[in-house]
Amino acid sequence: MKTLDSQAAAAAGAADSPWRADRRATAVEYYEKLDMPSPSEEVWRYVDLDFALDDYQITDASGDAHELGVGIAASLPQTAGSLLIVDGHVVDAESGSSGAVFGSLRGIMGDQPDLLAPYVGARIPADLDKFAAAHAAFGSDGAALVVPRGVVVEEPFFIDVQAATSGTVAFPHIALAAEESSQASVVVRYRSDDDIDALVVPQLELSVAANANLKVTVVQHWGRKTRSIGYANAVVGRDGNVHLGEAGVGALFSRLYLNVDLEGDGSSANIVGAYFGDESQTLDYRYFMHHAGLNTDSDMFLKGAVQDESLSVFTGMIRIDEGAQKTNAYQTNRNLILSDGASAQSVPNLEILANDVRCGHGSTMGPLDDEQRYYLMSRGLDELRSNRLLVHGFFNEALTKFPEPAIAEVVASWIDAKYRAAQEAGRVK
Amino acid sequence: MSVALQVSNVRAKYGDLEILTGVDIDVPFGEVHVLMGPNGSGKSTLCHVLMGKSEYEATGSALVGGTEVMGLPVDERARAGLFEAFQYPVEVPGVSLNDLIDEMGEVRNDAGFADRVADMADSLDMDRFLERSVNGDLSGGEKKRSEMFQLAVASPKVAILDEIDSGLDIDAVREVAGLVEQLRSPDLGVLIITHYSRILRYMKPDKIHVMVGGKVVRTGGPEIAAELEASGYVDLQNGDATVPAPEVATPFDV
Ligand SMILES: Nc1ncnc2c1ncn2[C@@H]1O[C@H](COP(=O)(O)OP(=O)(O)OP(=O)(O)O)[C@@H](O)[C@H]1O
Ligand SMILES: [Mg+2]
Repeated sequence: MKTLDSQAAAAAGAADSPWRADRRATAVEYYEKLDMPSPSEEVWRYVDLDFALDDYQITDASGDAHELGVGIAASLPQTAGSLLIVDGHVVDAESGSSGAVFGSLRGIMGDQPDLLAPYVGARIPADLDKFAAAHAAFGSDGAALVVPRGVVVEEPFFIDVQAATSGTVAFPHIALAAEESSQASVVVRYRSDDDIDALVVPQLELSVAANANLKVTVVQHWGRKTRSIGYANAVVGRDGNVHLGEAGVGALFSRLYLNVDLEGDGSSANIVGAYFGDESQTLDYRYFMHHAGLNTDSDMFLKGAVQDESLSVFTGMIRIDEGAQKTNAYQTNRNLILSDGASAQSVPNLEILANDVRCGHGSTMGPLDDEQRYYLMSRGLDELRSNRLLVHGFFNEALTKFPEPAIAEVVASWIDAKYRAAQEAGRVK
Repeated sequence: MSVALQVSNVRAKYGDLEILTGVDIDVPFGEVHVLMGPNGSGKSTLCHVLMGKSEYEATGSALVGGTEVMGLPVDERARAGLFEAFQYPVEVPGVSLNDLIDEMGEVRNDAGFADRVADMADSLDMDRFLERSVNGDLSGGEKKRSEMFQLAVASPKVAILDEIDSGLDIDAVREVAGLVEQLRSPDLGVLIITHYSRILRYMKPDKIHVMVGGKVVRTGGPEIAAELEASGYVDLQNGDATVPAPEVATPFDV
């Protein structure tokens, strides 16, 4: 086990290509300089960090994890490649024969030292905050996918990220790049057992070149004691599309800071989310949609529910640059509050510097609808059953927009089970 | 013949507003009755009060196939055999009609349920609606069709259809009326709420009740539909001293 210091950074960088070593050196400086974020900063508002990075250490070896795909494998019968990361270490990689480069970050850096330079650590600034700095300073391995020009991969790649050792912090990095006119779909699943008190600071970097399509489904299913501070960035080139679905079902504290840069003219992004917090879970989403190119489209659609004492946060920002004419941008966040003790924050923002754009945002918050419940009960469904169907329907609207329908179905079943368990325990009606 | 629906002295308030002032209606098994009355006279409120909607404070008795339903939760009334097709069926986003039908089947111990679903989906041409949200993005007529479909598969003892013909084109009215006649059976009593006598052209109601000011002021044979068509409800409100002056029911002013 290693504490987070310069020695740990040196060990993490043992296999670095020169470009990564440079970035790491700068990040170590930032890490030492930066303080823990505080709720007085707008992007950290509403949440309390009741832990320190120093509470956790890096493991040299991965703990005993579950087999790859446990609990979700049935929904992914065919994959183009798969990879298992445990406690920050890649323990299993099946690169497949899809025509794409897929494997561990360190492995690919070893084979092709410069291939990943544009895709790893390039877009999420190391000085964004202390966690981002820690990721760049101490992160070692992860997964990378580069889909070459014109290559279309139908089956999804699967990246299983697990935490298996309490007291550890891990910095898994996932870089996914779709080169010009290529297509691929990737499923990333985060999980740990309920008794694993670990901290994970993952980063997901997506690069979508001209005319390329990249679908990414992220399933956050951490155990009840695991904390996660995640970052994601997507950059999309001319006429490219990124379709990202994020499901948040687990964790004690889970945060995702997402930035999408629609740089190319005609580029587009579909960002969909479904999250369900219970007990004392905090689910925290900070989404930034940046329209830079001409004629770009974005749609953010997130549905969240909280029960018991859970807290959820969604802050969304659509920024349309001065030159980004003909932009269409929409942002929707709907929240179900299922217990009096639960709360949700929903803060949509717009910053529009162009004048020829169509832009809209909506945010709602409230309990299950009485009229809808009455209707279902009038068909003979008792109250509990009616409520379950309403919760299911609420999420169905988001989950049907997810990139991989089979994964969305598993997520739906987890959400249904979570609500049903609370009903059976008498915590909700 | 025994009574499918027996409503006795049902009164209901919404806050301080008295809407139903003592409703009495009997619908025997095997019969189809019609309830007419001016806008705001309390017809839809009667539906909701019988179904058990919580926003009304209600008293009185309502027997469905002999079971007292007043005081029961909504779902138990439904399972006692009461089905209502609503005037304004609410949209339930994300819940497909299929999901709802599955759940309806699960809560009913009814061996014939699955067969009825298959038959009625076919004869009402419902297949294309089954995967869509309940009442979501449906036209007015499609919503009514979906309500009729659910009625047919639920196989209740009492069916109350609140303005099932409103907003329907001529062919659809004929179809709904035909379906009601087709459903007519010794195990079912039907009460149809309507403003239009045109639906009566395609079916044979046994009785017509007229509601004014929150109570039934007249009951007669099918012939009174034509009378009402000619003279409206005004005579019934002003001519008969036993009918209270309608405070809440102002005819034709919507
Ligand atoms: N939930 C409610 N809140 C306030 N007023 C109500 C409510 N329900 C019914 N009312 C009032 O009670 C009266 C009767 O309404 P109801 O909908 O039962 O009339 P109706 O006979 O069905 O009319 P229509 O023919 O227009 O459908 C109306 O004045 C209406 O405004
Ligand atoms: Mg009405």
